[in-house]
Amino acid sequence: MSKPIFEAVDNLATGGITVMALNSLDFVIPGQWQNIVGFENTITAVTGTDDPEYIQAIGERAVALYNDKSQGYQTAMWLYETVDAGSSALGAAAMASKVGESIPLLGFLNNLTPKAETAQTIDLGVKLVAEIVAFCQINGIPGDSVGDFLAALADYGGESLMRMAALICFDGLVPLGPDFIIKAIDGLSGMGPDQLEGNKTFQGIRDVIPGGDSGGQLGFINQSMDSVRGWMSDFVESRGLSPEMVVGNLRGFVEVADDKLDYLGAFIDVSTNYYSHTGTQTLARRLIERAAAEM
Amino acid sequence: MIFSNWRVDWRKVLIPIVLSLVLFIPGCFQKEPSKFAQVQKDTTARGAEKAVAKDATQGGEFNKFFPADADGYDRVFSQEKKGFAEAKLNKGGKNVAVLSISDTTSLPAAANKYQKSTEKLNGFPMLVETPLKSTGVLVKKFQVKVASRDASFTADNRMTWLKKFNLDGLSKLK
Repeated sequence: MSKPIFEAVDNLATGGITVMALNSLDFVIPGQWQNIVGFENTITAVTGTDDPEYIQAIGERAVALYNDKSQGYQTAMWLYETVDAGSSALGAAAMASKVGESIPLLGFLNNLTPKAETAQTIDLGVKLVAEIVAFCQINGIPGDSVGDFLAALADYGGESLMRMAALICFDGLVPLGPDFIIKAIDGLSGMGPDQLEGNKTFQGIRDVIPGGDSGGQLGFINQSMDSVRGWMSDFVESRGLSPEMVVGNLRGFVEVADDKLDYLGAFIDVSTNYYSHTGTQTLARRLIERAAAEM
Repeated sequence: MIFSNWRVDWRKVLIPIVLSLVLFIPGCFQKEPSKFAQVQKDTTARGAEKAVAKDATQGGEFNKFFPADADGYDRVFSQEKKGFAEAKLNKGGKNVAVLSISDTTSLPAAANKYQKSTEKLNGFPMLVETPLKSTGVLVKKFQVKVASRDASFTADNRMTWLKKFNLDGLSKLK
């Protein structure tokens, strides 16, 4: 049985590396993400009510909806958690360093291995597909046309937009460089199904990626990358984002030498769980929206 | 003699103090059970009733009864699940309200609350829920709601948008 949704939201971190890393991206989407933690706080943030009876009723309906497996919410939670490849041991070690002080990356170099470009490319593609599948599990396919569906995707805001910003910055720009979109598209289209099968992130969620066999799933990943390339390049270009800007902001809490920047991507990868953190927030928000509307 | 008595007395006093501290301190840190623990138990029990009724109408059936973009507001469909469809109403890229239609078969209490309704819209019972900043109409077994998400979107705005739904069309949906 999966963890109760109210517990997952109550237990979200209020500080630590994940929250610091996400806050460092505030310059990308200024003021759009607040780290709302706690189930009842989220109900108030979404609906604007602080009436205890309403909070209880909305919360109860949201819990019931989450526990109805046919509604897909638990699958979405599982997806968010599974694509977060974070190693909690390293994360915990880094967390143990004094609060408020920056974390010297030097001490962790022995435990970090920068991912090969191929692995990083697959990770980016798989995380993107996880986002699309999770979106459909949570929201269904809203509207009656492809246009309606794309409009729903384009309407990303708050924690969902922050998750995409983190995906672009931490899984794209930092490890793959400024031309990460072309690299990912070229890399994925020249790849064979066997390479995909060997990737850990893919193995974790392959059962829910559409496409049938791994060849078809690779096709689906390629299509997904291709369909969001415009949105992604626009996101990067309109904000003038560069790896240096992202690294510069991360340096607010991680000390890293210029010749060790390769390790920064690996460090973020293993020490944060930004995907499940913001994923839990998205899921809670959508559940609460629905519960409040239905009651 | 006096001294040894004093020692014995202190032991007698000390032991209950230590004991009570040992028992009391963890009690202070014990978490209160969540207010949602009971519903968690009820909805995960074997054979528990599903949150969404088996025969609830598919959310996609509701889409055509929603209002279209109007008066500078963009309507963006945001959820479509069994028994439920929702659209956001955005102005200048900012979300100001949510529009929804739900099938009350899954949650009869939602329909029952309209028994206390004193107002009607197109002949359908209407209810304002101030704590939720929402206004709803019960159309047969379907609940249509408009909820404000921004202070600029008033109760009057909610009425305007409720009237834009095709309520008569919805009332013919089986």
